Amino acid sequence: MPFSRNSALKIAVIVLRVVMGGIFIYAGYVKLAEPWQLFAAGIADYEVVPMWAAKFLAHTLPWFEVLIGLLLIAGRWFRTSTVSTSLLLLVFFSLMVRAFAGGKEINCGCFGPNELISWKTLVRDGSMLAASLFLAAIAFRNRRTPA
Amino acid sequence: MKILALFVAALAPCLASGPDVDKGRSMGDPSAPMLFEIYSDFSCPACKHLHDFVLPTIIQDYVRTGKAFLVFREFPLDIPAHKYSRPAAALAVAAARIGKYQTVSDALFRDQGAWGASGKVWDIVAAVLNPEERKRVQAFAVESSVLAEVQHDVDRGKQAMVSQTPTLMVTYKLRQQPWTQFGDLSLFRGYIDALLKK
Repeated sequence: MPFSRNSALKIAVIVLRVVMGGIFIYAGYVKLAEPWQLFAAGIADYEVVPMWAAKFLAHTLPWFEVLIGLLLIAGRWFRTSTVSTSLLLLVFFSLMVRAFAGGKEINCGCFGPNELISWKTLVRDGSMLAASLFLAAIAFRNRRTPA
Repeated sequence: MKILALFVAALAPCLASGPDVDKGRSMGDPSAPMLFEIYSDFSCPACKHLHDFVLPTIIQDYVRTGKAFLVFREFPLDIPAHKYSRPAAALAVAAARIGKYQTVSDALFRDQGAWGASGKVWDIVAAVLNPEERKRVQAFAVESSVLAEVQHDVDRGKQAMVSQTPTLMVTYKLRQQPWTQFGDLSLFRGYIDALLKK
């Protein structure tokens, strides 16, 4: 049986969905496993939002990460979850590039504490953003394609 | 049983070495459950803020109550604006040898702007010591062991991922976590209290 291009794409999408979903669930989990103040301090280190917003994000963002991770793995609300993931990663990546270019030696805050922003974290998050944009593109392409 | 013995043997050197503390630069009960190591630079304005306004509260709430043992670490930054930081750190460590670390540290932070501009670090230190103490501190300050102690603190900080000053390294249950956010002390309190409840 020939292995069509369409099948390969389907498999790639499933693998990417599961991997990205797993990464997001893990990212949320490691933040939830620590006292929330640690993540709030990490957000505040970026000096982008006021302290009250850092506290609010520290309480809510990890749960949101877990939620979109689960949606990605389950394949439900695919367009919503991929767009949310892409927007979130776009914000994270922009902030990291800004901090790195500005010479700030701060924690990335991506997967819990103790990980300084570096080329490695930028390449990793950039790759995740690319994967997420690819999934979003697939989600919207499928919408336009007649069944 | 054999595995347990091997594990204990492997862990023994870590437990025996402890936090590597100079008694003159520490505060509180060494057997406290938590260890606070403050990495700071005498030329750094944020360190002065921490020293003047935040540290007294941390000492009162966590060090005096026996919850944490506090150690002062030198972390002079190698940048042109802080060119007198290392001599200042050496004088503070030398003062620690005669039990005058806090006195000298207070003076260096109080007059940070003055010696930071003029480079006259010794004048600030000498002003808070009596003639006998001055002689001893001057002698200690040029000793290789004192200069090595400053460098040892810097190396220790870099190893522990200290990337800025001030950094308060929190060690609890064999786990280290750097803390740099002192704008809102309630955040730090919340974090420490949550850890202590774990």
